[in-house]
Amino acid sequence: MKKYFIYLLFATVLIAHPHTFIDVYPTINVENGKAKTIKFKWKIDDMTSSILILDVDTNGDGKINSKENQFIKDNYFTVFEDYHFYTYIRVNGKVIPFPKTKKFQASIENYRVCYTFEIEGDFDMKKTVIEVGDTDFYVAMVIKQEFLNISGAKATATGVDNDFYYGYKVEFK
Amino acid sequence: MEYYAQFMQQLVNYQYELNRYISTTIRSLNDENSLSTSLVILGIAFIYGLVHAIGPGHGKALVALYFTSNKSDYKKAFKMGYMISIIHALSALIFTFGIFFILKTMFRQNFNQFSDIAMQISAIMIISVGLYLIYEAYKSRKEKEKKLIKSNKSETAVAFSAGIVPCPGVMTIVLFCIVLGHHTLAILSAISMSIGMGLTISVAGILSIAFNKKAGSFMDGKTYILEMIGGSLVLLLGTFLFLGTMR
Repeated sequence: MKKYFIYLLFATVLIAHPHTFIDVYPTINVENGKAKTIKFKWKIDDMTSSILILDVDTNGDGKINSKENQFIKDNYFTVFEDYHFYTYIRVNGKVIPFPKTKKFQASIENYRVCYTFEIEGDFDMKKTVIEVGDTDFYVAMVIKQEFLNISGAKATATGVDNDFYYGYKVEFK
Repeated sequence: MEYYAQFMQQLVNYQYELNRYISTTIRSLNDENSLSTSLVILGIAFIYGLVHAIGPGHGKALVALYFTSNKSDYKKAFKMGYMISIIHALSALIFTFGIFFILKTMFRQNFNQFSDIAMQISAIMIISVGLYLIYEAYKSRKEKEKKLIKSNKSETAVAFSAGIVPCPGVMTIVLFCIVLGHHTLAILSAISMSIGMGLTISVAGILSIAFNKKAGSFMDGKTYILEMIGGSLVLLLGTFLFLGTMR
């Protein structure tokens, strides 16, 4: 009883419930069981996007130009490095350092701010699992089966419970 | 703990759907459907608040620990829950309207900065409440009958400690409504969501009082031990929150 009570207290202190929801759309082209590039598209929820748009769409035209894109990258995207981009690439069960992100592009689609970026590597997809989730539980990262755009391999997206936070993982066959 | 994890995951899923539903509904608001749609939005905001507060945070642990260390009736739990939710709503409205209309730009960064300050104030207040509860428990060993005279003061302190940190969930809805030009709806949504949260927080207090009554009769006159433990845990909670803001 005491053990659970203390667990509950610490869990309450350490995590907060999600306030931002991000749909994650991975695009991967697998050839001979391997992939050189993994492309991610984050679609931030409508309400959080409305706050972001206030800050980043400085000319208010509903689009992101190159200057605004750079501003977003410097002020709103690079900070995710500290949070591992809420993405954990596991190879043979071990999390690898997150590769440097490339080709960052922000856009606004149907009121939602979207971030698109790529990572490069030599991924053996049968040994690779992609997990998303915020260890602080402030952001809920969501990958549903219909968000997957995978060619050359079968992949499944499922929810995952990591004790102090919840996320999703993509496994390949 | 597997069921607890599944339950928390399900809560996240509900919030995901409610978040989408509420934003779509607010966007669909126009002159022709304003009354009926506004009522639907307020109803969803209430449910959103209720579900949102079931997740960790919002002072439930503080309220539960407070009532573990203080003999009270169920009415006080409701009062406490709603005091917290009123302060929560006011804090969110002041922060949101203040940042939006006074500072105007860099909302998200300003919000994070102010939120950290509010969190530090809250943590210091929780530490003070913890110390106060320990002191009261110590004193009650000798003067039992005087114990509850000052409890109103500590209740207000608990409510302020838990409520002063504005809820980002409420702030997001408020700001979303402001951006779309629905200022009155922004205020009403904050109130509606806070009523939902207040109900959940009250339930945490009620459960704690029920636990206290059972444990109190079991411990037969040695309830100050329970009070000491409750006060110490509140102190610990405040210390962890404070350290959390230092990261």
